[in-house]
Amino acid sequence: MSPTKNDPAIEKFDIQFSFREKLNSVAEGFRHNYCYQCGACVADCPANNYDEHFNPRLIMLKAILGFEEELLGADSEIWNCTNCYTCSERCPQDVRPIDVIIALKNLSVLQGNAPPIVGNIYNSVLQTGTTTKSSSLVDRRRKELGLSPLGSYPIDEIQKILKVD
Amino acid sequence: MMDVGRHPNVELMSFSEVESVSGFVGNFHVTVRKKARYVDPSECTACGECEKVCPVAVPDEYQQGFSSRKAIYLPFPQAVPSSYVLDMENCLGNNPIACGKCADVCEKECINYDDQDELVNFEVGVIIAATGMDVYDPTEYDEYGYTRFDNVITSMEFERLICAGGPTGGHFIRPSDHESPKSIGFIQCVGSRSKDGRGNPYCSNICCMNTVKDTLLLCDHYPGVEAKVFYMDIRAFGKGFEDLYIRSKEEGVKYIRGIPGDVVEDSQTKNLVLNVENTTTGKIEKHELDLLVLSQGVIPRRDGAQIKQLLTLSSTSDGFVMESHPKLKPVDAPTKGVYIAGCVESPKDVKDSVTQASAAAARASILLNAGKTKIEAITSNVDIEKCNYCDVCSKVCPYNAILSADKKTNKPPTIIEAACAGCGACAAECPQDAISMRHFTDEQIMAQVDALLSVDPHKHLIVFACNWCSYAGGDMAGTSRLQYPTTCKLIRTMCSGRVDEKFVLQAFRLGAPMVLVSGCHFSDCHYINAVHWTQKRMDRLWNKLDRLGIRADRLQLEWISAAEGQKFAKVMRDMEEKLKQVTEEEIEYTMKKLEEEAKKEEEKKAKKAVKRAKVTQDQEVNA
Repeated sequence: MSPTKNDPAIEKFDIQFSFREKLNSVAEGFRHNYCYQCGACVADCPANNYDEHFNPRLIMLKAILGFEEELLGADSEIWNCTNCYTCSERCPQDVRPIDVIIALKNLSVLQGNAPPIVGNIYNSVLQTGTTTKSSSLVDRRRKELGLSPLGSYPIDEIQKILKVD
Repeated sequence: MMDVGRHPNVELMSFSEVESVSGFVGNFHVTVRKKARYVDPSECTACGECEKVCPVAVPDEYQQGFSSRKAIYLPFPQAVPSSYVLDMENCLGNNPIACGKCADVCEKECINYDDQDELVNFEVGVIIAATGMDVYDPTEYDEYGYTRFDNVITSMEFERLICAGGPTGGHFIRPSDHESPKSIGFIQCVGSRSKDGRGNPYCSNICCMNTVKDTLLLCDHYPGVEAKVFYMDIRAFGKGFEDLYIRSKEEGVKYIRGIPGDVVEDSQTKNLVLNVENTTTGKIEKHELDLLVLSQGVIPRRDGAQIKQLLTLSSTSDGFVMESHPKLKPVDAPTKGVYIAGCVESPKDVKDSVTQASAAAARASILLNAGKTKIEAITSNVDIEKCNYCDVCSKVCPYNAILSADKKTNKPPTIIEAACAGCGACAAECPQDAISMRHFTDEQIMAQVDALLSVDPHKHLIVFACNWCSYAGGDMAGTSRLQYPTTCKLIRTMCSGRVDEKFVLQAFRLGAPMVLVSGCHFSDCHYINAVHWTQKRMDRLWNKLDRLGIRADRLQLEWISAAEGQKFAKVMRDMEEKLKQVTEEEIEYTMKKLEEEAKKEEEKKAKKAVKRAKVTQDQEVNA
């Protein structure tokens, strides 16, 4: 593979192999080591379809090379992942790029670099048990479709589970 | 094959199956089932009259189902012997009222509907297994649509379509509309280098060069055709391979580094559209192709288990047959007098297969010309006095080197020394201690245990290491200058399967805090499957220790290969940590408990001996 201008390895040369150990310590993070850069994860990636800067293969490459700032910064592309698991299905090496991306997200949150919206989602789950707040529109649509209205969730149990010591 | 068929010293038995193989090097008894052809091959002139009148048409396997054949057919044009075969499953001639046309037109009258399978017995000195391979079925890669789209074919199907002897006479067409395709794509590594459960983790070795050759064929025969190859790595490693690859590039074949995603069919044109990330540019590319070829990988034969069972061959983790030694005996099977050649051992191309086959033939002729062979001095020996005909030994033997005992006919187990490899699994398993080994005897090993634990036994870790892997792993650790604790004391055995329960218990009885048994990994045991018995014996020992109130994890089992010096050192360091946690009270309790057990055993044995003596006495009196 010849490097090109788009290749992060050329743009920046701050390769840190120590980042690999950091990522290995997060659940499922070690899987990025298996990647042989075949690109099978990219062709069917829906996020890549809308944003060509989001590229699971490049994220794995950046993880291997240890571009920590790019991956864990507040404007990192990892947050554009739609969690659809297509890359996981296509990957022949069992890298499961999605799981590595989730590991990266966890690292980012731990370092306090996550975009503010992540905090909102966290609070929403903590308060209502759902990632999005239910609205009257949802109730109306459910009624039209003949579905029962959404019930409430056992918030106290969710809070207990999510409580970090 | 024609030359082989004509050779005066070669007897070719095509359309036959090996039923059973028994015996040992120099003296194999083989039974072969010659399947019924229903056509006498010595009479048939392959005139083809029968084929013309046969009313049955079934898909032709040789042409990958692209064309049909009759129920009476010539499997392929170069078949040896050049004789027709009747496919009885599809034939109507079973009932002569229904058909029988072929028999009517056959001038030689060589068609016989009542033909039977024939069993042939013969003796051979050596056996070469060259049973080949199968190809991977890409159905499970559903994103490529092999079963859904007409114009997605495999590389085997491509071969038939472009072959002059193929169903189209060499006119390259695509299946959907029989038009000549203008743009053809190849996807590499379908079913190879995949760890996600689909396909196989190994590289199939031949598909890259096969595709390069295919693209050149296309360029030579159909100038102007657009060929695109989607790959992750092109492995052009052999002599002249790189030249061929460069030539293909010069001919204008596009090599795109990237594995495509979903393949979609245009319902009107039946063309195929796929997206792929060109990883050299980082851009997503869309390609419309007339025909897509999946470069399928190679897999071990689907009926390979039977062959392995017949010849007591062992397989590697990927299912191919394992050689006796990867570097020094690459064509020898672990069983003496059996050699392997070709894709049965690993995926390989024609040249490598010929090389290996020549080597196997040469190795075989060494044995045949000498007429005799030297065997290792390490073999096992049965003491018939002690034997109680339980027949455990013959079941344990990985080489089938022990002929079964039979209590009724008073037939003791017989060891075929020419077939025995000396692993010692039988000696370790024999409940009567009736089997002894030549070299690595029980006494020698026990003496080593005693000597190592004669001073400060509570400070020593006793390690039983197998000769081929774990002991060599220790050497590796040494030559790599890796540091590990000096508390470990190694006792070498030929195989971990040799480690008798009594060795381990003796070590504990003498006050060893920890015992480690280490052997080869399951897939590369040097004695076919003797490590399975190690595992079973360890399970039994753990249970026994548990029952006696001894902490079972003081006995550890580890698989260390000869290349794993790092692992050897790490295991020894881990053991050191575990050794520190063993208390003196524990050791004392163990010693006392095992001493009691040993006494009990002895008492039992003495009682049995007295009983036996009485019985024989009575018998003598009666007589």
